Formats: sequence, C-alpha cells, structure tokens
Amino acid sequence: MLARIGLEPGDEEFYADQLSGILSHIDRLQQLDTEDIPPTAQVVEVASRLRDDEPRPCLSQEDALANAPASVNGFFRVPAIQEEA
Amino acid sequence: MTSDDLTRLTITDASRLLRLGSISSADLVTAHVERIERLDKHVNAFLRFTPELWEKQAEEADRRIRQGDAPALAGIPLAIKDVLCVRGVETTAGSQILRGFKPPYTGTAVARLFEAGAVMLGVTNCDEFAMGSSTENSGYFPTRNPWDLERVPGGSSGGSAAAVASGEAIIALGTDTGGSIRQPAALCGVVGMKPTYGRVSRYGLIAFASSLDQIGPFARSVDDVAIVLSLMSGLDPLDATSSDRPGMEVLNNFGAGVKGMRLGVPREYYDVKGIEPGVKAAIDAALFILRQAGAEIVDVSLPHTDYGLAAYYIIAPAECSSNLARFDGVRYGLSEVDAPNITEEYQRTRRKGFGTEVRRRVMLGTYALSSGYYDAYYLKAQKVRTLIKRDFDQAFQKCDAIVSATSPTVAFPIGAKTQDPLSMYLCDVLTLGGNLAGLPGISVPCGTSDGLPVGLQVLGPQWGENVVLRVARAYEQASEMKAEVAAPSPLRGEG
Repeated sequence: MLARIGLEPGDEEFYADQLSGILSHIDRLQQLDTEDIPPTAQVVEVASRLRDDEPRPCLSQEDALANAPASVNGFFRVPAIQEEA
Repeated sequence: MTSDDLTRLTITDASRLLRLGSISSADLVTAHVERIERLDKHVNAFLRFTPELWEKQAEEADRRIRQGDAPALAGIPLAIKDVLCVRGVETTAGSQILRGFKPPYTGTAVARLFEAGAVMLGVTNCDEFAMGSSTENSGYFPTRNPWDLERVPGGSSGGSAAAVASGEAIIALGTDTGGSIRQPAALCGVVGMKPTYGRVSRYGLIAFASSLDQIGPFARSVDDVAIVLSLMSGLDPLDATSSDRPGMEVLNNFGAGVKGMRLGVPREYYDVKGIEPGVKAAIDAALFILRQAGAEIVDVSLPHTDYGLAAYYIIAPAECSSNLARFDGVRYGLSEVDAPNITEEYQRTRRKGFGTEVRRRVMLGTYALSSGYYDAYYLKAQKVRTLIKRDFDQAFQKCDAIVSATSPTVAFPIGAKTQDPLSMYLCDVLTLGGNLAGLPGISVPCGTSDGLPVGLQVLGPQWGENVVLRVARAYEQASEMKAEVAAPSPLRGEG
C-alpha cells in the first residue's frame, strides 16, 4: 500500500515467496555485532558546498510541461484530491 | 580500408586517421550505421537511434577537423545507456513507465562528451531502472551477447557493452550501482570502468540508488576508457556530490607500468562461492603476467565479503523505493488518467509501468525503510557498509590495488537465472563491494573460458583511478589481450 504499486490477486503469493528467500539471505546481517559501529550514509568525504545565490536560467513552463500526460492553463492536471462536500 | 575496418578502431587510431584526412567523421558514422543495420537485429543493443544528432554532430566534427581545432573526441561514435538524459531524445530507463519521455535538458557527463566532439549514434538497452545483471529486465526486449547470441550480455548496462563489443560503437556510457558497468564489460570482452563515487557528475542521470550510482565509460582499450573518463570528470555545480578534484588527474602517471607495485588478491574473492574453474584459471594466468611485469602479488583479506550482498540488497532497494516514488503518472511518462481518484491513478500507472524486478525492489525497499523495521534493516545495513569500507581501507594499507575476477562466471544462457532473483543478485558479488565503499574499479578482458570472455577486475582506493588505469594498462600491454570485436555466430562469415 505504501509503495502504491497496485498489487493484484495472485501477486502477493508470487512476491511473498521470492521476497522471503531474499530476506532470509539478508538475515545474516544480524550475526554481526554492530553496536559501536557508526552507519555510513555518504561514502566519500565531500564538504558541503553552497553555490552563490544568484538567479540563473531554469526550465521554461513550456519545457516543464512538455512531458505532462495532462495539463491545463500551465499546470499539471490531476484528478480531484478532495471530495465534494 | 573497408567499412568494417572502421568499426574496429580505437579512439587513438580513429583520431589519427581523421586528422590525417584519410577518413571523415561522416565515413566513420556511416561505417557504424551500416554495421548496426546488419548486426543489431541479432544483438539488440540499441533501443533507438538518433540520426538527426549524428548528422549534425559529424558535420560539426568534420568542420572542426578541417579548421585544425578538433577537440579530443571529434567524430568518435558514442552509444548512451537509456538512463542518461539527452535533450529531446526519448529516454526511458528501460521502462514502460517512461515511454515517450523526452528530457528537456542534457545531463552533464553527456554534455561534456558532446563538447569534446563525440557523435551520438543512439540509446542503448538496459535492465529497467538499471536493476539487473543480464539486461533481461528491460521493459522492451533482452539484449544478446555478441559472442553467443543465446547468452546474456550481462547488465544492467548490457546494451552499451554489447554495442562496443560488436563494433556498433567505439565508446559507450553506462552506469554502475553494484557492478552494472564492470560485469557486462567482463561478459562481453570489453573494458568498462566505474569511477570513484563523486568523480563524475550525475546531473541528468535517472537515479536508482543515489549513494551508489556512478556513470562510467566502455571502450575497447584502457587508453580509450581513460580518455573518456578524464573528459567527463570534475566539479559540476549541478551535482552536490561531484568532487572538485581535477578530472585530468585520472591520467596521472597511468602509463608507468606495474613494476614495484603491490597488488592484493583478497582470498574471499579468489575463492568466492560459485567461481567457475575456467574463470579462476584465466585469473591465475593474469596474476602470472602481472608478476612477470614486475608487480608483487600479496594476500589480503576482506573479511565482511559474505555480508556485502545482504547489505547491498537493503541499501539499494531502500534508495530505489524513494527515488522511484516520483513516477506517479502526473508529470511525465505513462499515465492512467482516467482513474476515479489520484490514489487509483498512482496505483494503475505504477502497476502498468513497472516490471517485476522493479516492483520487487520497491517492495523490499519500502519494507526496509518502514517504521519498526528501519533499525533492523536500513540502519543495520549502513553499519555493515562501514565494516565493508574498513575492510578495504585495511587492505589498501598492504597493497596499491586489488585484483580479482569481475564476475564469478562467464556469460550465462538467456533465462538461466530469471526465476531465482537471488541467483541473479550473486552475479555482482565481486563488484558491489566497490560501490558500497565508493571505490574506482575497472574490468579488462583477460582471456576466455569455453570460448567466452573473462574479465579481470582492478579496484583502487578512493580517487585512485590513475592507479587502477595503470594496472589495467600494464596488464593489457603485457598480455597483448586486446578487446576483440565479436562477430555474432549467425553472422560470422559476414564478420
């Protein structure tokens, strides 16, 4: 549900079977004592770099919308998010 | 010189002929297009072609050559993996969900090669969102190995590797998240390199796993790979992870040979489970040649190797589940706009657009990141990543570079591993450590086993591309093992 990938009947067993095989391999991580080990999220030491806060060209509205499946008045079009009262 | 001879050239050879005026860039492009027309219906390396671009770029290259100010890659035919955005050229990450998407801009790595004069021939096939090791997960069709059309070219950058191996392009770009450049290079008998994390800007790359992805080149010689890498590298303000180290440093001293260098052989890689005897024999022969060339071979250990795959298959899916959330049918690509509400629109679009492997990884990643499981999976995997990086740090205290097989096996038959995802994942067991630790790595051809190419992997410390290239080049010279242009079996007579 979280991933919104639209599972259909039958999919659940198919994936559950494969994913449990993968997860049982992954379970070996629990054998390692990592109590005092810091996590690595960023593998290369790069100092944070800020660029100058100067306006620069960006995508035009036309370019940004060129791939939109549906657009209206310069906006992306989506179904109603709120139901009518 | 026949048209087919022109499809066997390296950058160095082609550039010399172009500058001498013996051939034009238009001739070079025509030779490659003719070869593609003959071969690619069998190999299926390309998803689509870019004739408007190649005409314009070849014309420009010929003009610059005539003027005498030709840039380094003037007129060199280039193939680009379907994950790198090129303005106006359909780019789909091998996925139906991006069918028809034409990027409004060109990514930095590609733009730099265009500035250097390269001529784009087309877009190459890959596993969907670069997830796979065989190119069978493409949302379009599988690519075949030019050495044996019944076998896979490796993946995920299988189209790029197959294009260079079959003489359909002189150079190609790929991406490597767990081995996706090095493994197909090995299986197709070409040279492929993954740079240090941060060496090449990823602006304009459709992201898979952002802490692991890197863009890198394929070619038929180490020199060519070095040239292309040096031209794409260097700081890009549009990618905050790109390093400000000068791109040209990758070439420092890289022709110096291996005399006096210490090359580490990790015993966990040398005896990795499932390594084929023929692959091991080719690696033994390569180690012998490197020793003859003056290198000292030393034993090293990477004790957490057995945990690498498990850590990788938490981290990469977790990052992919987050990166792929943007494919919702609203801003680009496939859309099921007739859905009654937006949640249903998301679900239907993603159901229709994503293939099996992508769905599997999105589920795995979403699970690993979900509250209650985060510490047990994602955090745990990041800690193990630290242990794996420390293994490499310690190994590099004892050696200048690490050498091993790139892949435990040669190219396997199409369909052999598609039913068992874990067996497919094991293809990357010798390469994914380099991604987890952010290291530069290369695969160079080192002979054959049962008539199929074997790759020698060289890994270096972070920012040690020049060391990796130096070992690879010394091996290539000493072994006289050049990447060959493969002629697919039904076409062998036609060459």
